Amino acid sequence: MSSRNPGTAFDLEWVSRVRVNTQAVLKRAQSIQGQKLPKKQWQSAWLLKAVTCIDLTTLSGDDTPSNVHRLCMKAIQPVRHDLLRKMDMHDKGISTAAVCVYPSRVADAVRSLKAANSSIPVASVATGFPAGQTPLESRLQEVRSAVNDGATEIDIVINRMLALTGQWEAMFNEIRLFREACGDAHMKTILAVGELETLSNVYKASMVAMMAGSDFIKTSTGKEAVNATYPVAIVMLRAIRDYFLCTGHKVGFKPAGGIRTAQESLVWLTLIKEELGSEWLHPHLFRLGASSLLADIERQIYHEVTGQYAAHHELPMA
Amino acid sequence: MAGPTTETVFNIFRSMESGPAAPSSAATAQAWLDHHSRSLGFFIDGKFVHLAERRSLSVLDSKGGQVCGVLCAEEADVSQCAASAVSAFKSWSLLSCYQRAKVLLRLVGVLGLHGQCLSELSQLCAMACSPPSLIRLLQFYSSWAQLRDTLLSGWTPLGVVAVVTSDDSSVYSLMLKVVPALAMGNAVIVVPGRSVAPPALLLAQLFSGAGLPAGVLNVLTGSDVTLGVNVAQNPSICYVTYSGSKPDGLALVQASAGMGVPVSVSPCVGATCPFIIFESADINSAVDEVIEAAFKKKSEVHWVLCVQESVCDNVVDRLKLRLAGLKCVSLQSEADRSLVDTAVQEAQQQGATLIQSCSAPPSGPLYPPTVLCGAAPASPCVVSPAPGPLLPLMTFRCHKEAVAVGNHSPHGLAASIWTEDLTLALETAKNLSVGSVWVNSHSVVDPCLPVCAHKDGGSCTDGGQEGLYQFLRPSVSSLPIRSSAVPLDYSKFGTEESPAVIPDPASSPPSYLQFVGGKACKSVSGCSVAVQSPGGGGGVLGLCPEGGRKDVRNAVEAALKVQPGWQKKTPSARALSLHALVKGVEAKRQDLATSLHTQTGVSMDEAEKEVELSITRLALWAAYCDKVQGGSLPMPKSGSALSFPEALGVVGVVLPDESPLLSMVTLLGAAIASGNAVVMVPSQKHPLPTIAFIQVLQSSDLPAGLVNVVTGRRDQLTVALANHSVIRSIWYWGSAEGCRYLQYTCTRPLKTLRLVSQEGQDEGVDWTQASPSFLEDLWRNAVQWKSVWIPTA
Repeated sequence: MSSRNPGTAFDLEWVSRVRVNTQAVLKRAQSIQGQKLPKKQWQSAWLLKAVTCIDLTTLSGDDTPSNVHRLCMKAIQPVRHDLLRKMDMHDKGISTAAVCVYPSRVADAVRSLKAANSSIPVASVATGFPAGQTPLESRLQEVRSAVNDGATEIDIVINRMLALTGQWEAMFNEIRLFREACGDAHMKTILAVGELETLSNVYKASMVAMMAGSDFIKTSTGKEAVNATYPVAIVMLRAIRDYFLCTGHKVGFKPAGGIRTAQESLVWLTLIKEELGSEWLHPHLFRLGASSLLADIERQIYHEVTGQYAAHHELPMA
Repeated sequence: MAGPTTETVFNIFRSMESGPAAPSSAATAQAWLDHHSRSLGFFIDGKFVHLAERRSLSVLDSKGGQVCGVLCAEEADVSQCAASAVSAFKSWSLLSCYQRAKVLLRLVGVLGLHGQCLSELSQLCAMACSPPSLIRLLQFYSSWAQLRDTLLSGWTPLGVVAVVTSDDSSVYSLMLKVVPALAMGNAVIVVPGRSVAPPALLLAQLFSGAGLPAGVLNVLTGSDVTLGVNVAQNPSICYVTYSGSKPDGLALVQASAGMGVPVSVSPCVGATCPFIIFESADINSAVDEVIEAAFKKKSEVHWVLCVQESVCDNVVDRLKLRLAGLKCVSLQSEADRSLVDTAVQEAQQQGATLIQSCSAPPSGPLYPPTVLCGAAPASPCVVSPAPGPLLPLMTFRCHKEAVAVGNHSPHGLAASIWTEDLTLALETAKNLSVGSVWVNSHSVVDPCLPVCAHKDGGSCTDGGQEGLYQFLRPSVSSLPIRSSAVPLDYSKFGTEESPAVIPDPASSPPSYLQFVGGKACKSVSGCSVAVQSPGGGGGVLGLCPEGGRKDVRNAVEAALKVQPGWQKKTPSARALSLHALVKGVEAKRQDLATSLHTQTGVSMDEAEKEVELSITRLALWAAYCDKVQGGSLPMPKSGSALSFPEALGVVGVVLPDESPLLSMVTLLGAAIASGNAVVMVPSQKHPLPTIAFIQVLQSSDLPAGLVNVVTGRRDQLTVALANHSVIRSIWYWGSAEGCRYLQYTCTRPLKTLRLVSQEGQDEGVDWTQASPSFLEDLWRNAVQWKSVWIPTA
């Protein structure tokens, strides 16, 4: 992984000068969605790229060691070996970018992956996920214990109360504390855009999160009513670009929630390529938070390789 | 490097290239062309007419390959076509509004079915065409077809209308004239540019299939705009309207001068438009959109990027990032490439810095999108833009300067402004002298938005309700009978010596003054002309100043000083001033009646009646002041679309001989009620009533210089008006030669002309009647439209 974003001092100027014209952003989103997607082997290559960027996720109340284990095994071999071999991609280290679980399941995931000799990182959500409405001390404690259990990536959620009431500096300070608690673990900051009301707030929250040293900014928890949408993503990507222009640091982007089809994953890749360039199309700067997406991508690849549409049972479950 | 089909998944996985674009299929269009043996005839009287003996021209695609052939129409084809259109007009105009609307609506269904073929064919001919936009156009005007007699009562279709376009005009701008013409009940002869000919022919066939009676829509093809002139020459054509590139439009106007047919042009291709980014803008969106506008779309206009100084670095940084991902754009030809190279070199020599995605390939018709930073209004790349992906970038300091920079160009087609500040947006929109303002957006077209270029941008309003009136005339007016062309030596017109006024001690006729800049005065030359008594008995009623070029110049200068202030006044303030003028006329009614009686020889009773009518006419215009208004337009998108009527500026009026007082106040009222200033030339035959009116003007509270009266010889003054670029419009009642001279001369800049030849037969205007459509026609001639589009989420 390249150098991390160290963050900057809090600068209200960067937050307050922003202007976002919603209709122009919507129009841009529409034009991205209207672009022609890659076909044939280009599509396969892009889909495999999407696979390598997936944070394969399970975040349910009924998660147990056994389904977490299944998830980890799927992460190691996300696409059937024979399909990869047909494309000559079987020895190119295709795996998902990470597995993402609740803090209490981190130990299980780490154990499963270690047993399989895999170096796939384990990511954990933390800080009172998904609402973030718990005391600061317990949120910090959650981060520390996940790191202790072996998580190397932490997905924190921001305190929406601070964002909605305009207390940007307080939010900055909180995220700074989380970043310290993460230590060497990479920090992805979830903005929960579905609850930020306006695109201007999305931009401001993105900027504050980056100034506070986030390695990634992430759209949503997947638990809000509105999740990763393209207009919101455009605003966040522009914030990433603006931060890069100001500081020279590259911050990653992770859309999450509601991304289910191979088609959508291609649009996401197109969007990143258009807005930030191919440089960002790598797991260290782009992640897709998803659970059921992988199955659809594998089906698409199956079709591209064999010309047939697969039945569900033909592809290994997660 | 591996070929595209053998590229391995792993290589793509590493490079993340997008791969080749899937080739677009044109199977349907090819099949249609094959069905016509790849040689398209004319579309006359509802069917294709293919004559083997006509010269054939090839239509080329973007790569220079032949798509198909079209024929060159000759004299006989034009007359056959015109004859068919004349008879079709009779039946088409007799149909009910409902029946006409139904045909247009049926075409919506037909286009839904065959839109694919149309867009493929347009693409083959290197034309942009989106069937959904045509469908919207048809739906919009089909409702106007239905409502013509309800909402536009008092208006009648013209007859056979010719729609001419140049090679580079789009299918949409062609149909933006054809559809409203048909909707109002006219028959149309389309003379398309070569590349737009195949889609136009296909559309004509589809119209016919939708139930449009044979002959109502005809298409004639030819090599260039001379065919348009040939069509204009045909005596059954009532109106010629043109859309496309400016040089071709001007050639058409000049070549058809003297044919007695009105010609209007919308030179929508090739104009320069400002793209203004204020510091209060969503800079990221603005940068994305300017790239889209300048480099991605096949653009009909040239953009100039104007950025507020305080955010210039921000904009430039983002432009650099965004341009990096763009590929080279293909140019039309090698010749264009050398023009682009020259323009870039010139700009660099003047210190411009370049932002490019990659350096230009050494040769060939390809060029990378390029921003020329540090351009200025004086830069050659701004004044005469090269045909390539070049975007000059200028900076401005404050809001006022943004407007000044945006306005300081002969073009007045459109502007895009970017700010989140509503007040600033509306103020800027108001002050920019362009026809379309797009706030936080660009290049938005819709049939409900009137397109009316200001300044040197054309003489025609297309689209919206406003665009209908070019295809209508007030039912009360009779169609002017076309006279045969008069020969004219343009360089000699209005130059003949005036007959000397010989001093005659026996009679000492009174000498009058003209009215310039709010002062009654003599002419600059000091010469006078005699006013003849009625009946041509040779008696001299008086001497009036012989105004010339310098008098007109002084009048225009005075008018220009006060016109902006007059336009900015509230409508009710203008109404008050006009009411005061009415009072002035009432006070001088005796003098005015006497002057009418003396001048025209009508009885005192008749003269008093005319004065009375003039008083009510002026009062009518006073009342119109706050009734001439725009409104919000029904855009099918979220946001607000507004239209505003704006004054033209300074209008030159050469007054009619008929009803000299009444016609004068009618035209004067129409002009100043809507905010214009006027320079009036009284009828040479009957100047006295207008001269008598000067005393009314003197005692009025109109700003000095708003109304000027320059007396003298008509032809000489016509030449003076024609050659003053500030005058935006001339309303002319006079000789056929004068009409011809004006149409030929008033092209640089283009003036809006209303020409009436009053020789021979009756000119067809009954000034005493005051039907609503008659008055509406007058005020619509005195305004230009501005549309403002403010999209919202």
